[in-house]
Amino acid sequence: MVKDITIGQYFPGRSVIHKLDPRMKLVLTLFFIVFIFVCHNFWSLGLMVVTLGLVVALSRISIKTILRGIKPVVIIILFTAVLNLLYIRTGDLIWEWKFLHLYTGGIYTASFMVVRILALIVASSMLTYTTSPTLITDAIERLLSPLKFMRGGVHTIAMMMTIALRFIPTLIEEFDKITSAQKARGADLETGNILERTRALIPVFIPLFITSFRRAYELAYAMECRCYHGYEGRTRMRQMKLEARDYVALLLIVVVMAAIILLNHFFGKLV
Amino acid sequence: MAILKTEHLTYSYSTGTPFEVTAIEDIDLEIETGELVAVIGHTGSGKSTLIQHFNGLLKPKEGKVYVDGQDIWESKKTLRASRFAVGLCFQYPEYQLFEETVYKDIAFGPKNMKLSEEEIDRRVREAARFTGVPDDMLEKSPFDLSGGEKRRVAIAGVMAMEPKILILDEPTAGLDPKGRDTILGLIQNYREETGRTVMIVSHSMDDVAKIATKVLVINDKHAAMYGTVDEIYERSEELIAMGLDVPQVTKVFLGLREKGIPVRTDIYTVEQARAELLDLRAKGVVAW
Repeated sequence: MVKDITIGQYFPGRSVIHKLDPRMKLVLTLFFIVFIFVCHNFWSLGLMVVTLGLVVALSRISIKTILRGIKPVVIIILFTAVLNLLYIRTGDLIWEWKFLHLYTGGIYTASFMVVRILALIVASSMLTYTTSPTLITDAIERLLSPLKFMRGGVHTIAMMMTIALRFIPTLIEEFDKITSAQKARGADLETGNILERTRALIPVFIPLFITSFRRAYELAYAMECRCYHGYEGRTRMRQMKLEARDYVALLLIVVVMAAIILLNHFFGKLV
Repeated sequence: MAILKTEHLTYSYSTGTPFEVTAIEDIDLEIETGELVAVIGHTGSGKSTLIQHFNGLLKPKEGKVYVDGQDIWESKKTLRASRFAVGLCFQYPEYQLFEETVYKDIAFGPKNMKLSEEEIDRRVREAARFTGVPDDMLEKSPFDLSGGEKRRVAIAGVMAMEPKILILDEPTAGLDPKGRDTILGLIQNYREETGRTVMIVSHSMDDVAKIATKVLVINDKHAAMYGTVDEIYERSEELIAMGLDVPQVTKVFLGLREKGIPVRTDIYTVEQARAELLDLRAKGVVAW
C-alpha cells in the first residue's frame, strides 16, 4: 500500500537529465513550475507540455512510472475538474439540469486546470525521479550557502534534511513490517469506521515511534564516533561543476520562457 | 490430512515496476500435523516470503495455499480464519510490543479473536508458562524488560492465539548461545505438550537440527528438499553446494570421505560420529 507511492522516489539512471547538475536542475524546475502558472492560454501551456514531454523522453523514465506517480492525486484532479465544470459560467450554456449548468467556459477552464495540475506534478516528480535525495539536499545546501551566517548554519539544516529523507524508506519498511506483525496477531486495520481504524493504528505507531527514537540515538552515537562536528573544516567528496549540458538546459528553458511570454501576449488570456 | 498445503506457489515483489523480482517460484508443499519443521535457506532465498503466505499476509501471484484443507483465499472469512489458524512470529518480534503491560500485550491476539475474558486469561497464563514468563513480570511494562525477556513475551503473544501451526521466523536471531538454547527448548517443550505443528525458519541448520522432525530446504526461490533430518543430512554435499552450513562433525566426515576413508556422511551429532568410528574400527577399516 505505502510502496505504491512513487512521488519523491528516485529511479537511478544515466540519462542526460540524470547527469545535469542538481543545482541547475533544481533552479530550472522551480522556474518551470512558476511558468506553469504564468501560462494563461492553451498555446503557452501546450508549449510547456511539449517541453515537459521532451524532458521525460530524455530522462528515459517509463510512461508507466509517471502514470503511477499521478495515481494518488487523481481524486484532487477530478475534484478540481468537476468544480470548474459546474461553477464557471462564461461562454455558451450547452447543458442544464436542475441546479447544474454546463458552459463552454467551464469545459475550457476545467481542461486547462487538469493539464496544469498534471504538468505541475510531472515536472516536480521529474526532479526527484532523476536526482538522488542526497544530491537534492546537497544542491539546496549550496544554493543557500549565502545564508551561512545564520545560527546553526545551512549545513546543519541540510544535514537534517538529508537524514530525514534518508530515513523515509527505512521507516516505510519498518511500518510495513510492524503492520504485518500486528496483522499476524489478528489486528484488523482494514475495516471499521474512521475512529476504529485510527485506534487500530495504535499497535503500529507505538512500536514505530520507539524504533525511530532508537534509530536516532544509534545514528547520533555513530556520527559522534566518527567525529562529526558540523560544517567547519569539512571538505566535499562530490564537487559540483557546471558543464556544457547545464548551459544548454538553461538556454532551452530561457527560450521556452520567452516564447511563453510571447504566446501569452499574442493569443490573449483564457483564465 | 496435511495441515498445510501449497500448490505452485509463486510470488514476486514490486510487480509491474522495473524492480520486479521473483521471491519464490512454484513451491509445492505438504506439511503433516504435529511436525516440527525447520525451514532452512540462506538470506534472500525466499523463506520469509514463503511463510508470509501461510496466513495470507501476502497474496500469491500464482498458486494456492490450503490450511487444514481450506483454501485461505476463498473468502474474507477464510482469510481472517487463517490469521488465527497460523500464528506467525516475525524476526525480532520484540519490536512489535506496544501495550502498557506484558499481560495486555500477550492478550492482544486472543482479544482480536473476540474470546471471553476467562478464556483470554487462561491463554495468556498458559502462553506465559510455555515461554517462562513469571507471574510478576505480567504486570510490568514490556519496555522495562531485557532483550531476551521481550523476545519471549512476543513469542507468548503469538502462542496465546493457540494457532494450529506456529511459525517462528529466526526466533534465535541476535541471541547468545544460552538465550538460543532457552528459546529452542521452550519451542520444543510447547510442541511436545500441545502436539501442534511448529515451523522454525533459520539460516543455520546446526541450530534447529536438534529439535526438528522435518527439514525444508529453500534454495534460490524453490523448495529444494523436504524430508526428515536424516534424509536431508544424507545430502550434506548438496547443502554445502547451496552455501548452507552443516555441523562441524559432518564436515569432518565429509573430509574423511574425501581422503578415501569409506565413512558415512549423513552424520550430524557427536554420538553418531562415535558410533560410526567404533563401527569402522570393529570392521577393521581403520585402526588406531
